[in-house]
Amino acid sequence: MSRLLLFCCCLLIALPAWTAEIIFSSSTDNPAIQAFVNELKQRRPDDLIRFVALKDLPEPAQLPDTSRLVLLDRPSLDWRLADPAGPPTLALRISRLQANSLSAPLPAQLSLLWSDPSPQRQMRLARLLLPAAKRVGLLYDANSAFLLDEYRQAARAQGMTLVTRRWSDTRDGRPLLYLLAHSDLLLGMNNVELFNSHTVKNLLLTSYTHQRPVIGPSASFVQAGSLASIYSDQSDWLDSLEERLDQPPASWPQSGYPSHFKVTSNPQVARSLAIKLPSNESLAQKLAEGEHP
Amino acid sequence: MANTHSLASLIGVLSLLAPTLVAAEDLFEQGQALPEILSATRLKQSPAAVPGSVSVIDRALIDASGARDIPELMRLVPGMMVGYVKGNEMTVNYHGGQVGTARRMQVLIDGRSVYRPGLATVDWTDLPLAMEDIERIEVFRGPNTVSYGANALTGVISITTRNPANSHGTRLKYIHGQRGIDDWYGSQGFSSGNGDFRLSLSGQQDSGFDHTDEDERYRDSRRSTRMQLSATHALDASQVLDWQLSAKEGSNQKNFYSDEEALVKGIVPKGDSNKDITARDFSGSVRWSLDTSSTHNLQLQAYAQRWERTQEWRTCDLELSFTPEVAALQKLNPDLLDTVARLLRDGKQIPASAGPLAFTIGNNFYKNGGALQAPVCGDINNNINETRYDFELQDTLSLSDDLRLLSGLSYRKDSSDSQSYFQGSLNNEIWRLFGHLEWHLSEHFFLQGGAMHEDDTLSGSSLTSRIALNYLITPRHGLRFVYSEAVRSPDMQENNVDWTYRLENLSQPVNGRNSAYYYATAQGPGDLQQEIMRSREIGYNGQFDFGLQIDIKLFNDEIHQMIAEPLKIKEFSQNNDNYMWLRGAETEIDWTFTTSDRLRLTYAYVDYETSEKSYRRLTARYSGSAGWLHEWGGGWSSSLFYYGADLLNERRFERADLRIAKRFNLGKSDLELALMMQQRLDDEALTWRENLYDERRLVYVSAQLEF
Repeated sequence: MSRLLLFCCCLLIALPAWTAEIIFSSSTDNPAIQAFVNELKQRRPDDLIRFVALKDLPEPAQLPDTSRLVLLDRPSLDWRLADPAGPPTLALRISRLQANSLSAPLPAQLSLLWSDPSPQRQMRLARLLLPAAKRVGLLYDANSAFLLDEYRQAARAQGMTLVTRRWSDTRDGRPLLYLLAHSDLLLGMNNVELFNSHTVKNLLLTSYTHQRPVIGPSASFVQAGSLASIYSDQSDWLDSLEERLDQPPASWPQSGYPSHFKVTSNPQVARSLAIKLPSNESLAQKLAEGEHP
Repeated sequence: MANTHSLASLIGVLSLLAPTLVAAEDLFEQGQALPEILSATRLKQSPAAVPGSVSVIDRALIDASGARDIPELMRLVPGMMVGYVKGNEMTVNYHGGQVGTARRMQVLIDGRSVYRPGLATVDWTDLPLAMEDIERIEVFRGPNTVSYGANALTGVISITTRNPANSHGTRLKYIHGQRGIDDWYGSQGFSSGNGDFRLSLSGQQDSGFDHTDEDERYRDSRRSTRMQLSATHALDASQVLDWQLSAKEGSNQKNFYSDEEALVKGIVPKGDSNKDITARDFSGSVRWSLDTSSTHNLQLQAYAQRWERTQEWRTCDLELSFTPEVAALQKLNPDLLDTVARLLRDGKQIPASAGPLAFTIGNNFYKNGGALQAPVCGDINNNINETRYDFELQDTLSLSDDLRLLSGLSYRKDSSDSQSYFQGSLNNEIWRLFGHLEWHLSEHFFLQGGAMHEDDTLSGSSLTSRIALNYLITPRHGLRFVYSEAVRSPDMQENNVDWTYRLENLSQPVNGRNSAYYYATAQGPGDLQQEIMRSREIGYNGQFDFGLQIDIKLFNDEIHQMIAEPLKIKEFSQNNDNYMWLRGAETEIDWTFTTSDRLRLTYAYVDYETSEKSYRRLTARYSGSAGWLHEWGGGWSSSLFYYGADLLNERRFERADLRIAKRFNLGKSDLELALMMQQRLDDEALTWRENLYDERRLVYVSAQLEF
């Protein structure tokens, strides 16, 4: 109760007149979060934008309906999910895999913005870079098996067949070898259980030995040696977030990928694999054009 | 805003300095900070930018070929001349040479040279390596002593075994078929701590050729047992330690050679028909790789290798052979001794005009009622143990995105120990310093050049160089222009042999002793120079979007100061007086035209001229291969290959191979059953006239279980 009082006092002091209140929250605070919040403040000077640590927030239902909540991590999302009532909420930095473990049904006016790259976009990027590819290989585990159908459809939409292999023991490279022998490229799903600092070396070196490019799963994998990936950086997230904030919460989709994204690629790897690499900007533009014809 | 900009520019500067860290600090980059794996030091040139011609035999091709030996796989490489001295003795020469002694190509297993130091051969049958453990074979077609050291004269066969991290689980295989084929293989891969391991055990057995052209049973079976333990440890993100132990024990049957018959034929019984070789090979290697940064890699490799060959038999000759006059005449004029022996066989007298030595030999033959015609038998051997220690430090430095320098230093110690060949042991030490620069001049031009300095205790020092310019029309299509010089050091046998046979445990004393020296001896000249090869190549490599890869090569190679005389104890005269030039064209086409069809074609045209007549036999003017691999669905697959050469060692060679396989998925395990058929399409013997099989067709089957 004292938390609520304190919070209301803060709002009263800060609010001379009504403006949109946008409350960012997460269980931890760090300079990156502050930089993100400050950047949005600069973009929207008329809105009241503030960061409130999760521990200082009251129950969701006690927050004014007119405010907008932007949650930046899993604990804050869990806190929001505990209460079906509450202000319209946007949850960022949540992946498809993390969301799969959320208990349904989700509260109304909660919109999830997926942190992982969209399968459709990654697949279209693969198609742009490798026009001759016919088969795309995908490693998955028990937690990510639910996404296979979506990836399969995304591959089919690009005229490719999805070849999958379950990778339950990442120390055992045999599923990877099978995929490399039966596909023209490997698509990385953003699943840290499979794609992480322990597996990156064997994954990339073995794929390279077989002269198979890897697309995805993340920008840091591209720096490590993947051919290319889509990703959204802070400004993309701000753009995507602003788009949502400008819309009435009733029209928010329950989940979706950020509408703004970029492409990153590894020119040295492309050169070694004899792949003609357009600029990242033109790739991103072609992908975006494909989405909004 | 100004602050934001300066922050952004600071981040920009930082990102240049520490590219891997920035990603982790981005609020929305979910991944972790990852090391740069495919760094500039690890990436290789794309096929169109390779400074030479490279054929890759991948695992799918190895499986589809059904081959039981590496030389059989070499038939898939354009310009390779594969020969059989015996069923258990194969040779692989690129373009030309002598079928009995393939000594101008470097062969590496995971970077370890298996080219024997003393006798300069590669014992393909005795490699401590199972076919099932091979991941891929890269064949560099052309001289490359800059990268691989002397003896990489005509080419380099580089064999890579399966990475232990990718060969977990159990694999069992059994092959059985005609011609006594009986091979087995078992491997177990696992991980423990920071390491991945694979232990393989295997055996190989067959009966070789069936009969000779004189309808004698051919004695050339082989049997071997092999072991390999391979490990890789990820010490941390920037360090990897790989090590390997391997061993092979086996026996290769050898029969009596015609040139080892007694001085005068038809008088004394032949010795043992069993001249079998017991072969033991051992090796251990370790490689440590350190990435000091994404632009700098340091690699240290050390290995030790030992070849043990035991070949002991009992031979007989006339007592006359052990008289000093025979040894003296052999040394002075072997041809005359040959004539004398022939006359004596025909019961003729040797005239005094033949010279005092020949005349005395003739007299000795007949005196005392032919007492010296009595047979003397004794134990003789060709035992030889060879050892190699090798250390190499290699430094790869990426100076910029477009400039890379590879340099290194190596030390090798080779020793050979044999009473028969060297009257004891002989050592050689080789220091090598090499450097290679790769420079992307522009989007279209790529220049590569390098040099190697080698200092060899037995044959002096040499400097070789190599330069290549690739013109990349697009990233997938390139023309290459290559000039290279390469050397081959004379091997210990050619230059330093001290070849003497001492017969022990004589059946009757000679000059009152129980042992005696054979009359023929040979001494290496000791002052042979290195062979020099100059090679010019123009090539094209292209990859098309419809799955076609094509490589075309035009070449003009000259070998000067060639050491080419046959290595025979009775006529041993090595010198640098020979030459050979080779010109021609070859192509390799690999076309995956559907996801279940792969077509592979190779063709080579080789024109040559040489001063040494024994080098005029081997080279096939026209040779090639064609293969079609198909997946039928439901686990069925087939592969059909054709291999042809117009005159390979003066004999036509044409063969069609068919392999049909069916894969069954049994829950957590996979079973593959395969039938392999080889059909010779001509009536010729294989390589030599005595190499004959009862049937032109060979059938064998295999079963492989993986779980």
